[in-house]
Amino acid sequence: MKKLAYFPGCAMKDQARPDEAGTLHALAALGYEVAEIPRWNCCGTVHSLAKDDLMRHVGPVRNLIRVQGMGEKRVLTLCAMCYGTLKRSAQFVREEERLARINAFLDTEEDFRGGIEVVHLLTLLRDEVGYEKLASRVKRTLNGLKVATYYGCVLLRPREFAVDDPDRPEVMERVVEALGGAPVPFPERMECCGAYLTVGRSDIVTDRVGRILRSARGSGADLVVTTCPLCQFNLAERRPPVAPTLPVLYLGQVLGWAFGADEPANLFPLGGAR
Amino acid sequence: MGTYPKEIQESIERVEATRPARMAMKPPRLTLQEQEALLKGFHPDYRPEGKRKLTVGASWGEPVPHELADLLEAYPLLDPREVDVSQPDHDVDVLVIGGGGAGTVAAIWAHQSGIPAARILIATKLRHGDSNSIMAQGGIQAADKANDSPAIHYLDVLGGGHFTNDPKLVRALVEDAPSVIRWHEDLGVMYDKEPDGTMITIHGGGTSRKRMHSAKDYTGLEIMRVLRDEARSRGIPVLEFSPAVELLTDGQGQVVGAVLWNLETSEYTVVRAKAVVLATGGWGRLHIQGFPTTNHYGATADGLVLAYRAGAKLRDLDAVQYHPTGAAYPEQLVGLLITEKVRGMDALPLNRLGEVFVHPLEPRDVESAAFIRECASPEKGGRGLGVTTPTGMVGVWLDTPMVDMIHGKGTFQRALSSIHRMYVRFDIDPTREPILVYPTLHYQNGGVVIDEHGWTGVPGLFAAGEVEGGVHGKNRLMGNSLLDYNVFGRRAGIAAAGHAKKATPGAPTLAHVGRYVEQLKSAGVPADRKAPLLLPEYRGERALSRMVDLL
Amino acid sequence: MNEVTVFIMGKGYHVPEGLTIMKAMEYAGYRLGRGCGCRGGYCGACATVYRLRGDYRLYADLACQTPVQDGMYIAQIPFTPAERPPYQLADLQPRGETLLSLFPELARCVACNTCTKACPQKLEVMDAVQAALRGDIPQVAELTFDCVSCGLCTMRCPAEISHHHVWQLARRLNGAYLTPRALHVQKRVQEVAAGVFKADLDALLSLGKDALVAAYKAREIES
Repeated sequence: MKKLAYFPGCAMKDQARPDEAGTLHALAALGYEVAEIPRWNCCGTVHSLAKDDLMRHVGPVRNLIRVQGMGEKRVLTLCAMCYGTLKRSAQFVREEERLARINAFLDTEEDFRGGIEVVHLLTLLRDEVGYEKLASRVKRTLNGLKVATYYGCVLLRPREFAVDDPDRPEVMERVVEALGGAPVPFPERMECCGAYLTVGRSDIVTDRVGRILRSARGSGADLVVTTCPLCQFNLAERRPPVAPTLPVLYLGQVLGWAFGADEPANLFPLGGAR
Repeated sequence: MGTYPKEIQESIERVEATRPARMAMKPPRLTLQEQEALLKGFHPDYRPEGKRKLTVGASWGEPVPHELADLLEAYPLLDPREVDVSQPDHDVDVLVIGGGGAGTVAAIWAHQSGIPAARILIATKLRHGDSNSIMAQGGIQAADKANDSPAIHYLDVLGGGHFTNDPKLVRALVEDAPSVIRWHEDLGVMYDKEPDGTMITIHGGGTSRKRMHSAKDYTGLEIMRVLRDEARSRGIPVLEFSPAVELLTDGQGQVVGAVLWNLETSEYTVVRAKAVVLATGGWGRLHIQGFPTTNHYGATADGLVLAYRAGAKLRDLDAVQYHPTGAAYPEQLVGLLITEKVRGMDALPLNRLGEVFVHPLEPRDVESAAFIRECASPEKGGRGLGVTTPTGMVGVWLDTPMVDMIHGKGTFQRALSSIHRMYVRFDIDPTREPILVYPTLHYQNGGVVIDEHGWTGVPGLFAAGEVEGGVHGKNRLMGNSLLDYNVFGRRAGIAAAGHAKKATPGAPTLAHVGRYVEQLKSAGVPADRKAPLLLPEYRGERALSRMVDLL
Repeated sequence: MNEVTVFIMGKGYHVPEGLTIMKAMEYAGYRLGRGCGCRGGYCGACATVYRLRGDYRLYADLACQTPVQDGMYIAQIPFTPAERPPYQLADLQPRGETLLSLFPELARCVACNTCTKACPQKLEVMDAVQAALRGDIPQVAELTFDCVSCGLCTMRCPAEISHHHVWQLARRLNGAYLTPRALHVQKRVQEVAAGVFKADLDALLSLGKDALVAAYKAREIES
């Protein structure tokens, strides 16, 4: 078993608990001993665009300090938002002066020494596990199910933190293929779902979700997968009344099911794929 | 280890030396005769020089401590001729005086009984919730386990009170107790429970069944803050920093409101009400016989003064409850409460030589008398085996490390976190070192006479909580004060609401105060004596001696 | 008697060493009304901030529990404006989003940990905010059980959260909905209402003192 520090983020412990369960099952099957970091706080979610806004990096860096405290060198996230936020802060404090100022502020914690790598589920599967090994562990194939691969925005933007080619990503499609599915790379797969506007302006989110789902359905998909619990929530819960009735699942759940996990806690409409 | 001075360290070594032999032993309980002898010899209540008989009022001839007599035999703060009470600033159905546990419960139940929130007013001296209720640590009694019954609880209460209690009030207390706990569960009080919901209950001093329910050692805080939040949800108005300084009566002698005084702006406010619930708490801050106290800053017996002037009778105020375990060291903590739960969890009291000298859970007055005897010098009939601190305080040990040794490491910090926190602040770790304790003034056993509905006998005036008497007779058991304020707060709130619905109050006056002043004059009470006290005087002597009132 | 100098709202006073901040203020001549409650560390009325000479930190503590130090600059914070939205417990669901919907400012937490540093009870306040943010009500209740609502974290919070009101709601939700009820309490309440104990109590009330004393002595004491 290979130890892997894990940052769950808030969504995985609340709305997206079933997503986490399925994914952790899959990771165990792939030989990972996933260790949740102690006393983690919210990743920090949305970044300020101001260059001198150090305060916004305090939360993410504190999480990285927890990873350091475990004696680990890298940390896994399952959420696109957490990934982007932690990755950006890890990058931000590479500049020594910034690191010193953040460390001075965080005077109740050990100093952050930098050098923690932030890993997303997708990059782990691609770069370390490999598609072949994935395919070799499949117990229940997707059996040609047409799966729309929805990236959303923060996995691919900004460019320097993208998990894949921000213009022509393929990692999700390759994972779906490895599980026996037929990926459907639909036109709106990189559009933003509306993210946190879901709290204050759900009308905007509903409008976007409608477009995304129509685009996926129009491309012939039977299922949409995401690798972000926020996207998953919006696509599932913020649909307009007349949207296509496409199921939307977190990729890790599909992975867990394919590796033989028990029936996941939330609906798992893959009946036809068995 | 710790911050104990060297001469005390030597005594700690003795405590440690006797500990292994003590782990499994339980000292015998005293017989009733032995208890009585101990009380007569050493309890402060049995010192005749501490009291005098009242020379005015409805309880003329009753003995009370000098400190209280000086307030009951005292002139009003307000000159009735200088205050216009004919124009009320607030006109309500139910006025609750006191924002602690009893007052808050009474207000909630008045509301529950159909009085609109806007027709209720809580007036309180400090902030809503500032009270002895919030400081209670150990627990609340209720006979709700299979091996227990209200009848067994009844006997415990009566025996604890030396059979001086009002039986009707005790019956109300024990019969209502299980429903109080259930109500608290509905409101969201986080009691200590087993995973299946069974209440974790332990013994308190003088209980024959384990019926002490707790919420860690913040039981009082947890209940009070939930009640306060519920009162807020119901929108019941609260006037803070507004102590009542006098009740108002009409031509028929009914209580029809009160005069409040704004502690910050010194204005008076007139409240007219169809019914008044007195819930002003107790008297710890009178420092009877010079004892330190566990009580909150506002515990100055104001309600007794107000009710007595309006004609209410008082009872059992010759009996003062000294909690056996007030902190005796360090100086900053002197007098603060060390909950009985510590003894309930098997920490034994010990003398300077590390010897057991009393069962840890005798009724509070007996336990206190035993501590005083252990510390008193042989010339005064005592044993002279107390530990003397650098500031001259004397105390006995409470062997707190036994709690973890018997119940497992971490128990003390989990179950007694407030005590743990209090000592760790001063570099004493109670899981490794014993702590020094001595009796501290804790509770007003007696108070205003009430019936089982909280009625004082004065039309329109109800009372609940520590201000009333009769429930506990001359000695209250642990865990019955939180219960008392919930039971009688509810009963008084319901009765006050019922009274308000049919009352026909006349014009408010201070006529009863005028009549009382006449009595004071004929009794020859010195003219400079004023009451209520409102706040104790703690300012430094040097500052006070130079204080002049220029602005 | 050794003296130290403390600066009460900037003005210097000599007071005896070893006093608490509260007693030092009284010694100096202040009569406390605001800023003083139980005097025992339970009520949270005496929230106080202070600085020590030569130290950048702004300390926060309870005046009744903190001894004075030489050169201490003291200011009491006797009241904390805090927002408590109206709610009835019975109308609420014990779900994670309940906290966030009533207290949306929770989402403004940047995990700076200033709240934790301000807590006189040494609670892990920021961890509790984070637990509230992800809707873990039992965790919030557990972490904040010893809170005395002094308001110091609320005064220091850059996200402007009204902490003690969030905690209060979380604990009530936890106590009322997420903890199993005590069935023996419900049973006993029903028994009392049905008059099961009436005869026993009637009998006790009719006893004379000697008989009562005898009954008291004869009690069996649970071990």
